[in-house]
Amino acid sequence: MKPRLVGTLVIAVFTLTIAWFAPTARMQTRAGTPEPQGVPVAPQPEAKAGPAPRLSDGHPDLSGVWWGGADVGAARGRGARGGGGRGGARGTPPPTFMSLYKPEVAAKAKTLGDKDDPTLRCVPTAFGTLNVSLWDVGAVGQIVATPKMVVMLTETYHGYRLIPTDGRVHRDDQPPVYRGDSVGRWDGDVFVVDTRNFTDNTWMSAEGRVSPHSDQLHIVERYRRVDANTLEIEATVEDPEVLTGPWTAPKQTLVLAPFDRILSLNCSGIETQALMDAAAKQKN
Amino acid sequence: MKRAVRMALVWGLVSLGVVTTAWAHHSFAAAFDMNKPVTVQGTIVQIRLENPHSWFFLDVKDPSGKVVRWAFEAGTPSGMVRNGFKPGIIKKGVEVTIKGFHAKDPTQNAGMLRELVMADGTVYGMFGSQQGPAAQ
Repeated sequence: MKPRLVGTLVIAVFTLTIAWFAPTARMQTRAGTPEPQGVPVAPQPEAKAGPAPRLSDGHPDLSGVWWGGADVGAARGRGARGGGGRGGARGTPPPTFMSLYKPEVAAKAKTLGDKDDPTLRCVPTAFGTLNVSLWDVGAVGQIVATPKMVVMLTETYHGYRLIPTDGRVHRDDQPPVYRGDSVGRWDGDVFVVDTRNFTDNTWMSAEGRVSPHSDQLHIVERYRRVDANTLEIEATVEDPEVLTGPWTAPKQTLVLAPFDRILSLNCSGIETQALMDAAAKQKN
Repeated sequence: MKRAVRMALVWGLVSLGVVTTAWAHHSFAAAFDMNKPVTVQGTIVQIRLENPHSWFFLDVKDPSGKVVRWAFEAGTPSGMVRNGFKPGIIKKGVEVTIKGFHAKDPTQNAGMLRELVMADGTVYGMFGSQQGPAAQ
């Protein structure tokens, strides 16, 4: 087969595949134009961004609703602009959390599947499906910042983190919890968040990624508001009980959403979990 | 030319992966049989916009006239709302047709919602209307 013909066939198959899967092509409506959700508070990402606003103490103000430019299912996709992360050899994909599992942990993980995903029972992730802790399982989160406390609100499962900004040590009266105990400090214009004291009954991620961890999980995140519309997040993850070494998550770049508050949503998961259990019993 | 062919193939696979990720939310591939499309017509009895996924429940008359309750799983509520599916837009008691894929367990009257068609022809997808300024 001539290369030109092969190329044409490849492009044709690709185009047909996109047409089949793309939500915009298959999920259209003739209903009226919906209203934007929330109050517009920021210019569109395309507009020239001003400098990052600052708190009364001079530190950057991280406040805002942050997303990747779209929510789940939107025509333009979802997710932050993620970098490749460090640690991958030239030309090879960067390591994932799971790729650093010790052999015995990797073997155990192979015995788990979708039906075991804690998020199906409304249990949040320890980190985030899209490598953004602020989002947890979803694709939108909100930060409310003051000079003394940064509050991170996660939309999907009603989660929150209260993060003092004065560099204090972790509290000793906090029982282990799904999303850990966080403390923060400023490193110049970078807000550094140290989180530990996790339970071991969550996964790092969801969406089919089997990613258990131990209660020795330790996450250090670095938040930098690059300008008025852009937030960069880097994270380093340690878990000496399950990993062979630290994992550096791909750097994520979020943009300010054009609304000023996240939704308040319930989670029940009853039917979803029942279906998964039933499906798991079927022979494919 | 060979390089162009290789690049086209690589980008095709990469793009397919990206789009499929957006489409195939976690439990869907595991819970539903994508080779078993199903279409039912019935009356909406409940819509739950909640996590991890939203649900549409409807009563359907089987060929014998017996009313059977069906359940269809749709997208995450935040994605649905921001893509144009306003809460309350579909009322209890309205007639709809839902097209989707049947649960892997054939004994369950359940499926993954691919398309919901109203009596006036309005069509909603798993993640809402996908149109308008909210579809960002």
